[in-house]
Amino acid sequence: MKPVVDLKYCKGCNICIYMCPKKCYSKGVDISPRGYFAAVVSEPQNCYNHKREGKLICELCVLSCPDQAISWHPEGEETK
Amino acid sequence: MEVFDFYRKDRWPHVFCPGCGNGTVMNCFYRAFNELGWNLDNTVFVSGIGCSSRIPLYINADALHTTHGRAVAFASGLKLARPELDIVVFTGDGDLGAIGGNHFINGCRRNIDMDVICINNNIYGMTGGQASITTPHDFQSTTTPYGNREYPFDLAEIAVAAGANYVARWTTRHVHELTKSIKIALEKKGFNLIEVVSQCPTNFGRRNKMGDASIMLEWFKENSVRREKARSAAVDHVDLNLAGQVTIGEFVNRDRECYQERIGVEKHGEKH
Repeated sequence: MKPVVDLKYCKGCNICIYMCPKKCYSKGVDISPRGYFAAVVSEPQNCYNHKREGKLICELCVLSCPDQAISWHPEGEETK
Repeated sequence: MEVFDFYRKDRWPHVFCPGCGNGTVMNCFYRAFNELGWNLDNTVFVSGIGCSSRIPLYINADALHTTHGRAVAFASGLKLARPELDIVVFTGDGDLGAIGGNHFINGCRRNIDMDVICINNNIYGMTGGQASITTPHDFQSTTTPYGNREYPFDLAEIAVAAGANYVARWTTRHVHELTKSIKIALEKKGFNLIEVVSQCPTNFGRRNKMGDASIMLEWFKENSVRREKARSAAVDHVDLNLAGQVTIGEFVNRDRECYQERIGVEKHGEKH
């Protein structure tokens, strides 16, 4: 599974960048539709849950995101 | 239950500032509630006034948004009138400790069956950053520009002394531990308090050289001490809090008889 940041909800607080132990996230450079510099999942292959099915581990980014903007999606799924 | 079955999607995104810890606590609560498999129809969320007291408005369940500081008092009445419901109180430090301090202490003393989640952000965030009862010593706020001369309240220790059944304190940096604690508290009878030390980068952090949420989380990580370690190091527990440090961990886990068992209103329904 890979984490996906929902640009509709992200407020650019960068907590995910701080919390991720594997440095999957990086600061955004483009302004999101809501006017924030939303975080980007730059290296999803580093994630503990890369190619993992069933029960996920770690999940620090999903649990600590204050805006419920991060969700898990299968690797093959196309997301914008 | 999916995330947006639990939350009201039409109200999203919520009003909290970027980096506010309230959303983290909502996530942890959702995770614990979902793992227990409880029903939202059988749960009532009660809150007072403040940033953290807006959380029940975003949850897809019945909510009681009450007057300032009286959340525990309203919840006590609700529990005694409808003992089959599960009551969860979301409240802040000013709501629970300052204005509602007496209700809080007497709620603990009576040991009425409810779960109180107190989100302690060390400041009156909604009204513009005035010093609250939990602002650490020597920290700045709008009403204490030269540093806070007073010493803060320790809400968790007060609850232990007043007789709550389960008391724990975590920060928003310790999300997995917090989820586990919320799960224990939801299953347990009696008055359960979970104090969550949360970040307020907008009003608390900005005035104390911690203007970013991640800097505040790093501060929690550096300054939080496990309760067992604080005791074994033979350091006075009160002193630790006064130095701007946070004692975290499970404070008490006991089984005192709760109020509705004693007066016999429990006969209406079984708790899960």
